[in-house]
Amino acid sequence: MTTQNGISDKFKNILLRRELHVGIIIAALLAFLYASRGINIILTILIQVTIFAIITMSLNLESGYTGIPQFGRVAAVIAGAFAVGGIPGRIMASFMGLPSGREYTLDTVNFKVVPEINNLLASSWLMSLGFLIMCIVIAGASGAIIGWLISRPAIRLKEAYLGISMLAIGDFFMWVGHNWNLLVGGSTPANVPDPFRIFGAARFNVIVPVFFVIAIIIFIYLNKLTRSPFGRNLRMLRDNELSANAAGLNIVKVRTQSLVIGACIAAIGGGLYVLYTGSVAAIGMTRLTFTFWPWAYMMLGGVGSNVGVFMGVFLLTILRTMIIIFRSQWFGFLLAVGIDPLWLEFTLLGAVIIIVILFLPHGLVPEKVEAMLPANRVKKVMAQREL
Amino acid sequence: MLTVSNLSSGYGKLKVLYDLSIDVPEKELTVVVGPNGAGKTTLLCSIMNIANVFSGEILLQDSSIKGIPTHNLAQKGISYVPQMGNVFAELTVMDNLHMAGYMLSKSEAKDKAEQMTEIFPVLKKFIHRLAGTLSGGERRMLAIAMGLMKNPKLMLLDELSTDLAPIIAERVMMEVARMRDELGITILMVEQMAKRALEIGDTAYLLVSGEVKYSGDASALLHEPELCSMYLGIKHSSDKGKEFELSVMDEGSEDN
Amino acid sequence: MAPWLSSGLVYASGLALTAGSVTLLYIVTRTFNFAVASMATIGFYTVYTGVTLFGGLPYQYYPFAFIVGSITGFICYYGLNRPLLRRQAIETTLMMSTLGYDLILLSMIQMYADFLTHTYKIFPRRVTMSLFDFELFGDRAAAFILPVIAIGFLTILHIFLTKTKFGVAMRATIENPILAGASGINSDRVYLVSWIIGGGMAALGGSFMAMAMTGTPVMGMYTIPLMFAGAILGGLGSIYGGILGGLVIGLTEYAGVFLLSQQFGPWVLGYRMGIPLFIMAATLLVFPRGLSGIPLLKIIKNFAEQKRGARA
Repeated sequence: MTTQNGISDKFKNILLRRELHVGIIIAALLAFLYASRGINIILTILIQVTIFAIITMSLNLESGYTGIPQFGRVAAVIAGAFAVGGIPGRIMASFMGLPSGREYTLDTVNFKVVPEINNLLASSWLMSLGFLIMCIVIAGASGAIIGWLISRPAIRLKEAYLGISMLAIGDFFMWVGHNWNLLVGGSTPANVPDPFRIFGAARFNVIVPVFFVIAIIIFIYLNKLTRSPFGRNLRMLRDNELSANAAGLNIVKVRTQSLVIGACIAAIGGGLYVLYTGSVAAIGMTRLTFTFWPWAYMMLGGVGSNVGVFMGVFLLTILRTMIIIFRSQWFGFLLAVGIDPLWLEFTLLGAVIIIVILFLPHGLVPEKVEAMLPANRVKKVMAQREL
Repeated sequence: MLTVSNLSSGYGKLKVLYDLSIDVPEKELTVVVGPNGAGKTTLLCSIMNIANVFSGEILLQDSSIKGIPTHNLAQKGISYVPQMGNVFAELTVMDNLHMAGYMLSKSEAKDKAEQMTEIFPVLKKFIHRLAGTLSGGERRMLAIAMGLMKNPKLMLLDELSTDLAPIIAERVMMEVARMRDELGITILMVEQMAKRALEIGDTAYLLVSGEVKYSGDASALLHEPELCSMYLGIKHSSDKGKEFELSVMDEGSEDN
Repeated sequence: MAPWLSSGLVYASGLALTAGSVTLLYIVTRTFNFAVASMATIGFYTVYTGVTLFGGLPYQYYPFAFIVGSITGFICYYGLNRPLLRRQAIETTLMMSTLGYDLILLSMIQMYADFLTHTYKIFPRRVTMSLFDFELFGDRAAAFILPVIAIGFLTILHIFLTKTKFGVAMRATIENPILAGASGINSDRVYLVSWIIGGGMAALGGSFMAMAMTGTPVMGMYTIPLMFAGAILGGLGSIYGGILGGLVIGLTEYAGVFLLSQQFGPWVLGYRMGIPLFIMAATLLVFPRGLSGIPLLKIIKNFAEQKRGARA
């Protein structure tokens, strides 16, 4: 009798969980999109979701768990994107005896070299896989290096100063990439060799599961990390810097670690983004796309909750896509006065941020307060102490 | 004049005061003493609607002032002198006085400021100096003058004697007593310098961990050896101590 | 005047006003106002609309730019900032809320630009405002007029803050909100007025900056790091510090680009944004609290003592 009651209670608990409600909404919207536009739109959404989930989880590590006002997320994403845009292609080209030095990214050379690399990659799945892994490693490493470099001057600054400095650094990176055409082609986007070329027309169908697996690995890693003693240090730092300091926590070290890990993950996200689009347009690496949207995702999903981050990315990406594909059907009244409904994307972004702050301060899936030890362990320890 | 009944308050979700009741009779000096962290400042902040009041009632002359915005309480005749930051350091002494009398009319404020410089001659000397450049004692005088600018019926004084040299603190205490005796102002004073405050006060409350441990005649509290030594650090049976205190006062010089 | 100096003066006076606006709102309400970007752009479009639709000189539409900016500030205060301040939200939340507001304003600016194109057949997406300017002393008039307007505005602001009762009350609230409240000053009104002034200043600054750069719907968004850099360089302590910081940032950008491009060639132009940011970073490394963190009094005192020591 009691077990049955227990089961139904458990069932009820599951039914009442916010994650389930949001999940149902997401599933319904996806089903609607599938019914009206077919599978391709779903695949595009899924790819964007995985890439931005990775970037947003890294933001969540730095801002949600450590309390750093990371307004320069784009800097680490750029590091990954530029690294994947500039380095692996050059390595391949030098092995193949093609122009691989400074001239690799010049627009007159790049569009001839990259297809040849692609042809080689398409010839063997082993080489494609190796290339993909090399890209991820290079992206992560360059992200970690850039994250460490940025953390050096930034670590001493206080809240607002820190956030604004990082924002400025991110913008500066974008301009460097846009102007220095040896890096990733400057104003003419450099092409990136495509490790998924081997699959031909089924490219998207393969990218989705591959990226998804990477995102899940990062998700599991971050969940482990934030539950470890290191994760507790981060939250301690976030909740009360003074008492963390008094408890003997090396604040500079913990913050640096958080910034470096976060930048590494974000750079992997940036690298995957470039592999998916097939080219690096420096001017497209804006703080709007890679800093502000991830902030909105994180705030909607729930600061300090990685499940929430996934939900937030999913929901907002679907809504963005819906604005784009239904713009002429739903917003004809705007088109009538010459207004492009695409601008509603900004309105949506701003409105989501404001609504979340005013009415949903903990997001859709709030962070769970976790005990350091399971409750029965705590009881046991207490009993031992009393003896 | 002021009645606080069954007050529970604190900051955010943190509860500091538990079911606290005090009564401030008209034209008397009521002293609240107690150890650090007892909630003395929180009591004044709750009256001024700076801290969050969870439950209870605050009555000023039998009408509730609970939930009235801070800036309207000045118009009701309550004047609050905080412990820290009780003057505007970046304004001149004159501007400080005028700001303290913000809801007075221009001519009224001018007259009142004139009056203050007569009561506290030291302010007249520095009337165009920035308040931040005054010495600790002068600043405290300015803070009291600012409190008086509002023609208050009730003054809330928060630890006026903190970090003053003993001799200056003594002078400040004398001013407080004079305000009650000569100007007939009702005063609720929170004080660390418990002994001196209890000597000049009429009624006293001993506040410990957000609860009232003693209420009644102020000087009678000085004759409760247990409470005094436990919470206030006042040791009895020591004329020696008194001598020591006096000698310190003699040597005390004005701080800066 | 050398071309870089005249453009630099125009640009820097605009940047000074926007950086001053950021600083004002930060010291009054603890809010790092991201919406300053769109407020600046709105100021520019107000002037642009006036000049193209009704003719005349840009200068005569500056009061309107100020008013429109003030309205956006007013809305931001009542809609967003006030409820959050009442809730005692943390700095990052306040900052994010203005970011949301900024993005909504940005989308409205973009729609307005579309609307102008469609309705009046004009092209508001790449505007050279200096074409509407006239010539004075053999140079563009803006180089003389705009610094004068900026100084005049700051003089009025200074008189307001030091001589009027409400202005002094604003300073009192900035320094000590609790004591100001206990003195009977309504902090709500102080916040409202600072949002109105801050919004107006930002819009005025944006319309100034458009005289030196290409006016686009995203001009505020591109220059916001510089506005913030100016405010941070000024130390976020006083409005005057912010204004000075903006001025320094604007002038060094133009002077630096001029000098470096003479030295190394025109490719430097692409990295112009790096110069002011480098100056900000360098200042912050030495003085983590910006220009206002420079212990001027102490330096003077030390200097005087050294002199005295040398004499003795």
